[in-house]
Amino acid sequence: MAVTRYTRMAYADADDMVFGTAKHPISYGFGIKIGAGKVIPEINYAPRPGTEKDPEKLRREYVDYISKDILDRAITVGFPDVQLETEWVSQMNQEKLSAPVVAGQKEITEKYYEEFGLNSAVRHTIPDQREADEGLRPSRHGRQYPEKLFECAEIAVENGADNLSCETVGGKELADFAVTNGDAVAFLFGVGYLGSIDMTYVWQEFANIAKKHKAVAGGDTNCSGANVSMFMAGGYLDNDVQKTFSAITRAISAARTLAAWESGASGPDKDCGYEGPIVKAIAGKPTTQEGKNCQCAHCDLQGNLIAQVADLWSNESVEYHPEFGGTSVQCWLGSIGYEAALMNTAIQLKQEKTLRDIYMYADRYRGPEAYILAYDHAYEIGKAIAANGDNLYLRSKAAGLKAAKIIIGGYESKELGLTNKQLEVTLDVIKKFEALPDDEAKFTEYAAKEYKDVPNFTLKNYDL
Amino acid sequence: MLTKPAEADFSIVLRRYDIEQQVVVTPEEMAKKMLPKDEVFRKVAEEVLYMRFKTVGPSVAEAIKARAPLDVINNGLVAGMEVVAKLYAEHVYYLPEIMMAAKTMEIGIAIAERQVPGGRDSKGTVIMHAAEGDPHDIGKNIAAVMMKSSGYDVVDLGRDVPVSDLVAETVKVKPMLVTGTALMTTTMTAFPAEAKLFRENGIETPLMGCGGAVNRDFANSYDLGIYSEKAPQTPKIADKIREGYDWKKIREEWDDIVGGK
Repeated sequence: MAVTRYTRMAYADADDMVFGTAKHPISYGFGIKIGAGKVIPEINYAPRPGTEKDPEKLRREYVDYISKDILDRAITVGFPDVQLETEWVSQMNQEKLSAPVVAGQKEITEKYYEEFGLNSAVRHTIPDQREADEGLRPSRHGRQYPEKLFECAEIAVENGADNLSCETVGGKELADFAVTNGDAVAFLFGVGYLGSIDMTYVWQEFANIAKKHKAVAGGDTNCSGANVSMFMAGGYLDNDVQKTFSAITRAISAARTLAAWESGASGPDKDCGYEGPIVKAIAGKPTTQEGKNCQCAHCDLQGNLIAQVADLWSNESVEYHPEFGGTSVQCWLGSIGYEAALMNTAIQLKQEKTLRDIYMYADRYRGPEAYILAYDHAYEIGKAIAANGDNLYLRSKAAGLKAAKIIIGGYESKELGLTNKQLEVTLDVIKKFEALPDDEAKFTEYAAKEYKDVPNFTLKNYDL
Repeated sequence: MLTKPAEADFSIVLRRYDIEQQVVVTPEEMAKKMLPKDEVFRKVAEEVLYMRFKTVGPSVAEAIKARAPLDVINNGLVAGMEVVAKLYAEHVYYLPEIMMAAKTMEIGIAIAERQVPGGRDSKGTVIMHAAEGDPHDIGKNIAAVMMKSSGYDVVDLGRDVPVSDLVAETVKVKPMLVTGTALMTTTMTAFPAEAKLFRENGIETPLMGCGGAVNRDFANSYDLGIYSEKAPQTPKIADKIREGYDWKKIREEWDDIVGGK
């Protein structure tokens, strides 16, 4: 698949972006149209521990229990659309475990479509089990060949996956180091630069595989980098990682997440990619987001704001188990489904921009990460990326720098409060990024030397 | 870009507890009374406290000319790290400072240790791993740094460690504690399997289950299992095992050991 870098914004103005509508909507599954004027709930789940030990047990868990419960609840409450997301457990890299699940979910969603007219689709997110020390490329033989990753993609689409997605791990070895050591330059190098190179490699192949079987290549997220950073930054009682650092890493991750779409994927991207507002602003492809209705999985500081331009609205993930109100997947489908219904009502009443702004202002000042993801700021970061779109290094640096300057602008105008440490970290990142060379080769040479001792890091994994 | 609506009062929408509660004292002010009084040890401790990993080597080399190498380690480098731990507990220092200070301390210890006949005594050996099938090891790595900083020797088996490998290594090393992390509900099931094999091999070593997917109920659901919610709790629990606590007593007194939860 050819790679086309984004050098222009899909939207002429930040105010043109709103939830439920994308410049480039996408259709798949049984009647699902994403970004075509409504927000669709996407429910994600994990099987109970132990079910992964036996193919029939696992199929029954995913199909007869989880999927059936979800589809029944959608009918019970009157939701017109639902997307299911199966994030493969690691054992599903064995075809005997994964193929029956994929085929079974296809069958049951088709049954509900025919019987009730319920629009639905299933996203299959396959595991990227490549490990940096074992090699990310086929030429470096190890326990988890990259070939295994592409085999999983084949199994998914051959057996009926509507949407093929992945959380790739390129750059993770440097991201881990960067987050624990508070080193934004290491994050820029690992995630912004090397991670983008890796995603370009992986997603060209995914797009080919999906096309071959008439499935849709969805997208990626920097789960292993920016999300680790955000989760460790945590809430007001957590202090391990500064929230300005996590905000800057989030902006850098947008330049990486974009690479899937540049390599042939159509969207929607993955729910846990909080960088979604930035990449949607650039590419106009639909984005999946999660926030206040994913508290079953984690807490964040932008639970309302992050709904502002979402096209799919997710619960992140919940283990399958009973609750007072039904099974966990039924309860959380209710939570995300009613929120999507609220957004869709706003669209029908032509109040979508009002609701978007209410969502956005509810969290705009809750912290630096929410502040840079507010759609007007996300748009500005998008512009910084697109202006340098042809250069994976420069666009990542521009994204991080723009986010840092937006934070400082907010602080100086007294819109955004910062702790002393949050301010110190932001100023330090600006100083360090501005001192970096503009030349990609010089930067690579510098960074490869600076981070040569980071465990498992080698340029060979990135064809450099 | 948008500006703050003048008529809206956002103080009824949210409250920035992080800003209200921040500690404004500087590391220098806070560390002043905690650093060693002896000039030689103090200089070494300051190298750790201020994370000077490029100059700690020469400072330690200089210090061991004037003081016994073991004393330079314990009263200089480790003492400096203890101050760092206190600053971390008081939210003056954060995770990156812990990581860089630990790196500085390790560089210094490696130099001084060479001059200690028979090597340095550690508080005990701990095996750490991320569960079979689980590639996520950032939590394990942070905990490993905290264990080393607290004086323990760490045998780090890495991530995605087969159950059989862990058992074989435990039989061989005979550690005082084994820790495992799992981020996925389908990989944390390795812990009870490991515990079962420990028992079959006559091992009574506590097996700590940790990580995003694991909760206290799960870690306490199998024999030998104990829990640690956050990395800084792990050395506190290890200290109790050193005092002679077994896995049952750790469970009973867990709240008191980790400072309440």
